[in-house]
Amino acid sequence: MRIVVTGMGIVSPIGASVDQFWKNAVAGVSGIGGIQSFDATKQRSKIAGEVTGFDPALFLSAKQIEQTDRFTQLALHAAQQALEDAQGLEGYQPRRLAVSLGSGMGGFSTFEFSAARRLQNKSVPPFSVPRIMANSAAAWIATKYGLKGPNLTCSTACSSAANAIGMALDLLRTGKADAVVTGGAEACVLPLTMTGFEALFALSTGFNADPAHASRPFAKGRDGFVMGEGAGILVLEREDAAQKRGAKIYARLAGYGCACDATHIVAPDIDGQVAAMQAALDDAGMTSGQVDYINAHATSTPIGDVVETKAIKQLFAERAPEIPISATKSMIGHSIGASAAIGSIAAIMTLQTGTIHPTINLLEADPECDLNYTPNSAVEKKAQTALCNAFGFGGNNVSIVFTTL
Amino acid sequence: MDTAELEAKVIEFIASKVENIDTSTITTASKFEELGLDSMDTVQLLFDAEDAFGVTFDGEEVKNLRSVGDIIDYIGNHPPTSVL
Repeated sequence: MRIVVTGMGIVSPIGASVDQFWKNAVAGVSGIGGIQSFDATKQRSKIAGEVTGFDPALFLSAKQIEQTDRFTQLALHAAQQALEDAQGLEGYQPRRLAVSLGSGMGGFSTFEFSAARRLQNKSVPPFSVPRIMANSAAAWIATKYGLKGPNLTCSTACSSAANAIGMALDLLRTGKADAVVTGGAEACVLPLTMTGFEALFALSTGFNADPAHASRPFAKGRDGFVMGEGAGILVLEREDAAQKRGAKIYARLAGYGCACDATHIVAPDIDGQVAAMQAALDDAGMTSGQVDYINAHATSTPIGDVVETKAIKQLFAERAPEIPISATKSMIGHSIGASAAIGSIAAIMTLQTGTIHPTINLLEADPECDLNYTPNSAVEKKAQTALCNAFGFGGNNVSIVFTTL
Repeated sequence: MDTAELEAKVIEFIASKVENIDTSTITTASKFEELGLDSMDTVQLLFDAEDAFGVTFDGEEVKNLRSVGDIIDYIGNHPPTSVL
């Protein structure tokens, strides 16, 4: 059974539509700046990839805004775009329409706000729990659009959206749904969350005065990831059903693989990453020789980018230097549980347009990062098979394979 | 703040919080359900009122608040816990 992508929606620091996002990604525009949403003077990392100018009142009522966390609002906006793009899902029975979403932190904006009030002995907003819970975004998408089938949420840190997309693929293959709204959402440019990542020395702190150059996957001098936020949503269906209803088809979701390191709660591991990529290719019935683009996880941490480079070299062997790779996070930072959905959209647009977006800020590569990362400028190259990587805390490694039809 | 002034402020506040409501229909006798508020809407309204009027509704007493007049009486009988 072949599963295809028939709708896409995105909210990101470089665009709140697929067209705008892709135009800026190809042009290598940085969406990183000084934090605007809260006073970050006490943070060690004072920069982020924020979605600025986002106004939920344009598509939600005052009551809906009151009852939703920002991560849900970002998800709802991306879902609206994806469903408008897919058109015609009303031809399916509502019980056959599923949602499978990823989020690493869930409604942490609400958590931090409510916790601060509690510590000040103030009342806590009554919708705190339904705003915070990780499945809030999936539930709101279902409620807003009457999607009455399975409603799943996956929280596997930075690989959440990739697992959610993989779970959506499984729902379709096993006949549990006819269409799935899938992807991920995250909104954790927040003081407590960022302080937690700072305590792990995971965030960039050396580029506060030069935010646009802070997220620099594979480059010399990188010093951690830049917090990001956003949402990416895909609509998936069986290819035969999509063709029958005359839907526009962007790409085929051909395979999904996951593997756990089972070694360390935060440190990456080459073997786990190789296993996830291999599992995704096996699931797609493909070989490593067929991959002609990799959207890397590449967060810009000193260790992570080296480990991913080594994993790619181990799996692709002598072909590794030939395969164009790019790091979407170089422009938008790391949107945690949304990042793999956004990376997937970048991979699909690569297949669609024959353009590979650049990894920006890669003037001088780390000697240990010696592959073709598409530095600084976009490259025209027809690709037929794209691999999207997502590796998360918990040793959670996921890869997904998209192909042209 | 005298009672008439407090009454006007509470009604104005409720009008700003309840969607699609004609302010002239809100009186001190209006029960929350008559204003179209379900139980969760009411809890949210009372939470918002705490910040707006600088009071803290007691967790148990709040169950007895059923009308606009009940909110006015509560605020009138409980001096502000904070100035916001």
